[in-house]
Amino acid sequence: MASALEQFVNTVRTLSSQGNYRELCDYLCKASEILIKNNPHLDNVLETLDIQQHSLGVLAILCAKYNIPNATNIQEARFNQTKDFINNCNGEQIRLAPDTFAELCHLVTSNLVEQKQPMKGILLLRKAISKLQLFDSQLTSIHADLCQLCLLAKCLKPALELLDIDIIGICQEINTQIQGGAQFDAKYFLLYYHYGGMIYLAVRNLERALYFFEVAITTPARAVSHIMLESYKKYILVSLLLHGKIQTIPKYASQVVCRFIKPLSQPYHELANAFASNSTSELNSVVNKHSEIFTRDHNMGLVKQISSVLYKKNIQRLTKTFLTLSLSDVASRVGLPGPADAEKYILHMIEDEQIYATINQKDGMVIFRDEPEKYSGPEVLQSLETQLQACMELDKQILQMDEEIQVNPQYVKKAAGLQEDEQPTKSTYVM
Amino acid sequence: MVININLDKAAGELEVQELEAPNGVASPHVYERLLAIYLCQNDLCNAKFLWKRIPASVKTAAPELASIWAVGQQMWKRDFPAIYNALNSVTWSENVADIMREVQEITRLRAVDLITRAYSSISLDAVAHMTGLTSDVANKACSEKGWQIEADTNIVHPVRSSTVIIGQNSSEDQLYRLTDFVSFLEN
Repeated sequence: MASALEQFVNTVRTLSSQGNYRELCDYLCKASEILIKNNPHLDNVLETLDIQQHSLGVLAILCAKYNIPNATNIQEARFNQTKDFINNCNGEQIRLAPDTFAELCHLVTSNLVEQKQPMKGILLLRKAISKLQLFDSQLTSIHADLCQLCLLAKCLKPALELLDIDIIGICQEINTQIQGGAQFDAKYFLLYYHYGGMIYLAVRNLERALYFFEVAITTPARAVSHIMLESYKKYILVSLLLHGKIQTIPKYASQVVCRFIKPLSQPYHELANAFASNSTSELNSVVNKHSEIFTRDHNMGLVKQISSVLYKKNIQRLTKTFLTLSLSDVASRVGLPGPADAEKYILHMIEDEQIYATINQKDGMVIFRDEPEKYSGPEVLQSLETQLQACMELDKQILQMDEEIQVNPQYVKKAAGLQEDEQPTKSTYVM
Repeated sequence: MVININLDKAAGELEVQELEAPNGVASPHVYERLLAIYLCQNDLCNAKFLWKRIPASVKTAAPELASIWAVGQQMWKRDFPAIYNALNSVTWSENVADIMREVQEITRLRAVDLITRAYSSISLDAVAHMTGLTSDVANKACSEKGWQIEADTNIVHPVRSSTVIIGQNSSEDQLYRLTDFVSFLEN
């Protein structure tokens, strides 16, 4: 074994046994080059270390192993080692080097994606997230990896369990090599919300999808991110599907959205305008005109859904004007080929509770009715209660964050500093 | 409701089995049951993605998977007659037979519910199509439900059933929450 590696093992062992993990972290940051250089012997080194006691050391070695170029023949063994490590490592040690741990997970992810075996990593990454998290609602950069794997594996349930938890904290992944300060790469934040939105879209949870895309596009930014641009396009489509128009973007969205992203997604705005005109033919012409762009953006499926939603929206509009209408009239007014199609659409809408109507097959008529809900039942009370509870929870959250800011030394210093600046001017007035 | 809980549990177990399978490929039996259960829960999105992620080799090895998904496809299109067709054209293996029977039952209940909600009058033929019954059986079932049938035109008049009110929580719980709200609003 090369002497450099021997020294590495000794340092890891002594520092670990002393519990001097911080120093060990610093040392490991510098040691990665030595490890990569001596890559043939890394397995031997790995055997001399214990996963529980020397988690940080093992982590560094595994990271180095993933950084070796052309390592196709050790794929399988490497993955098993990593799996063993993530399942058995010491969480406390890991949380001292969250950046390296997350890095390892990113490497594993991209490796599985390349091998086209995303299914293998789902449980592993879930375990990794729970090791790194301090509490359930904390976002780590591994979340984005997990969502990506789930999307690729077309296995969405494991991701949904995570996505359903609202994020209230972000894991501070310190990158000691670049900067001293704590930071969380915005890329993973955006990716998490973009992938999350796509996952909700896939399981037809449109409201939640819209919310996720909204978070992605309202992230403070000074430059255009491609992830944000794609999210913006999907945001338009989802809000058309859900509300029939583009929801206004919150004011706290950064200026780049208006200035750069809007002009870049012109075809989508044209689509929205055509949709707003309620004319099927106009919508179809826009769809045909830009079909190349929509297909390239992988949004064609959504666009097609939008054209079928337009029929439903037009039927909904009819309920506002008419009390009874024949099926053939519905078909001609909405632009459907025949009364049978109209009946099919209306039947689907009744099943989804989008309209309230009764079909009379004997005379071929539809009777539109009012919403039967009287807003006096216990269900209404129950939904009110849950909403109030959510509001109270939110209020508590905000108060807590406010308190945190008020005791933040930097904030206190600035606030106090301002007053000191003002005071002399006041005294000059007195004089 | 008991069946529902059991299905949820079974689905959870099967999902774990699939995730833990080496190389990410589970046995065809797991896929078959899971797919059938998703259909039973009317969880078509997850059924669709499950179908998409099953490797092609497994699909050819277990042709029953394709027949299960054929049912799912018709459910996606909400084409009731085609669903019954797809359900009855295959003799299901023991692995999924009980679940597929359940699927048929649930689909029929859905159809009946939809008819009561959507139609004030409907031809007997359409009822038979939507429930997958022969017109004689459908005729009998309609009269049992108290729906009027016009003998000369074979038009059925379904009766709307009043919605069932879900049981309320205990009043103590209600009171506790109300005090919570008031104390929050006052402060």
